[in-house]
Amino acid sequence: MLVTLAACALAQDPRQIVQEAQRRAYAKSQRYEGNLKVIGASERVTEKRWQYDRIGSFGDSKTVLRFIDPPEVKGVALLVINYKNRASDQWMWTPALQRERRIALQDRSTRFFGTDFSFEDLEEREAEHFDFRLLGEEKLDGHDCWKLESRPRPTRTSQYTRSHLWIRKDVHAYVRVDAFQKDTLFRRILYRDLQELEGIWTARQIEVFDAKRNSRTVLKLDKVDYNIAVKEEDFTLQALRRGL
Amino acid sequence: MILFLLLCLVAPAAAQRFSHRGFFETRSFLYPQTVPNDRAHFVGEALLRWEASYKLTAGWQLNGAFDGRTDTHHQVERDFRLDWQDRTLQQPALSARRFSAAWHRGRFSAEFGKQFIRWGKADILNPTDRFAPRDYINVASNDFLGVLGARVIYEGDKDSLDLVAVPRFTPARTPLLDQRWVAVPEPLSQVPLHDLGARFPGRAQFGVRWNRTLPTVEYALVFFDGFHYLPLIEARPVIDPVAIEIQRYYPQLRLYGGDIAVPLRWFTVKAEAAWFGSKTSTADEYCLYVIQLERTAGEWFFIGGYSGEAVTLRRNTLDFAPDRGLARAFLGRAGYTIDPRRSFAVETVVRQDGDGLLVKGEYSQQYGRHWRITASFHWIAGELTDFLGQYRRNSFGLITLRYSF
Repeated sequence: MLVTLAACALAQDPRQIVQEAQRRAYAKSQRYEGNLKVIGASERVTEKRWQYDRIGSFGDSKTVLRFIDPPEVKGVALLVINYKNRASDQWMWTPALQRERRIALQDRSTRFFGTDFSFEDLEEREAEHFDFRLLGEEKLDGHDCWKLESRPRPTRTSQYTRSHLWIRKDVHAYVRVDAFQKDTLFRRILYRDLQELEGIWTARQIEVFDAKRNSRTVLKLDKVDYNIAVKEEDFTLQALRRGL
Repeated sequence: MILFLLLCLVAPAAAQRFSHRGFFETRSFLYPQTVPNDRAHFVGEALLRWEASYKLTAGWQLNGAFDGRTDTHHQVERDFRLDWQDRTLQQPALSARRFSAAWHRGRFSAEFGKQFIRWGKADILNPTDRFAPRDYINVASNDFLGVLGARVIYEGDKDSLDLVAVPRFTPARTPLLDQRWVAVPEPLSQVPLHDLGARFPGRAQFGVRWNRTLPTVEYALVFFDGFHYLPLIEARPVIDPVAIEIQRYYPQLRLYGGDIAVPLRWFTVKAEAAWFGSKTSTADEYCLYVIQLERTAGEWFFIGGYSGEAVTLRRNTLDFAPDRGLARAFLGRAGYTIDPRRSFAVETVVRQDGDGLLVKGEYSQQYGRHWRITASFHWIAGELTDFLGQYRRNSFGLITLRYSF
């Protein structure tokens, strides 16, 4: 009983809620194929497909996103190297130019290759760089959730002034993020079709809504694998150049 | 050829290890004005490009890229042989654009064979990009050529070291004498020009680039010892019959350079500079440098800067030097992504003395998964004595239709 009460008390600490969600999502590596549908304001749909590879623990990981479809963008790739103590490094490789381009911090608010993800959305955000506040509890899609507010600390550059996070109480998984610029909703991310895969609660569908453009991107995750054998050397600039 | 066949054979057998892509493209040039040595208003081109790679093992990979092309203006050879050297005056009808074996292990990687090597950080001019000759058949719309060599890279956490050796020289492809991108002054237009070909250097070229990446700055130092891929030109008058004989040769080049990129709060500053020294008695010695600011804001990107030249030893040689032709100039580029399928961009180059001007505009739209159409114009103005200005009758409109697969 005492243990349960202590756990409940700890769970009310918003930082610990976020850290627990990050801990439960831990995997040594991850791979999936993402099918993206970008639905513009005119309801016109553009489809893309990428392969996602990731290695390392949350906030200290490396990620490679490589477009595999449509043919026009096949081979375009993004390398993200996350650091615990500073903003990530990001490089984009364009095969037609045979050159990589470092994505500057001030450019991270721009959209990533025609999707509604910004470059900033593709990096991992260590809880230490944010202040959290518990706003309350809400029911989303029939599940009890904590509703938190996060604000980037002064050491952290972000396009978002603050964000509201909804985390499911039963499995400590994100279900929704509303990101604001001052008091205006800028981007909404919905995590849907949560499934437990290899012990990790995984959203098989992520929907990003860009409120300014009235555009949304639906990312469906296929062929999801955790803790597969990948090598550090596949997450370098050289590796970025190697792939088609 | 062997690599080509190998890549074709392995494709169906090992789909997991095999990757490929390509496109078929037609380009239609419309020139409103004629020039003394070229009366054509329309030039049509067709290009089929196929790129493939095959992972032999965890560490080894084969790469190949092949072009097939033709045109209406005899810029492309009519022989159907597979070219791999890129030394011909005309563009080859069939060419192996890339064929190489790549290896990697830990922090080391290497590539052997015909490959693309790009150095430098700037976008508007790259003085340190010494292993990247271009095809200047059309000066205003050019493409990179691969080089035959070996490249070894060590990539550390902050530092990388790039060593390149190129035993066989690949020149930039220069415009054809009987076509509009060789600007012949009106008084000389009746004098035949005889192309005596080129004298290619025999020895190998070497280069090394050290790059350091820090959170607040990224910089590199470059050393190159070899030959300039842009030619000097020897022109000899012949009296009986009256003609001018022209031969290209490539000056020895020792280059010291560097580049730097500093992301600031509102924009990124990029700079690149190199000093071009030469033992060739007819070659100028000079420094080329570029400084640019760039910013991406919403759907817009902006790049603006200045490229400069400081001549340390002038020898007044006849040359073909688009890189120096774009120096002492202000350059600007802006682009806007309308939606995931449509974009437009504009670009301007203005020589600081006002003697040359290039304005480019481009609109591009994707149709379905495979098709893209791009409409663009190039407006060129200036004085005949200026590199850009000499092409003032070469303004053109261009429609590009591409099917990607």
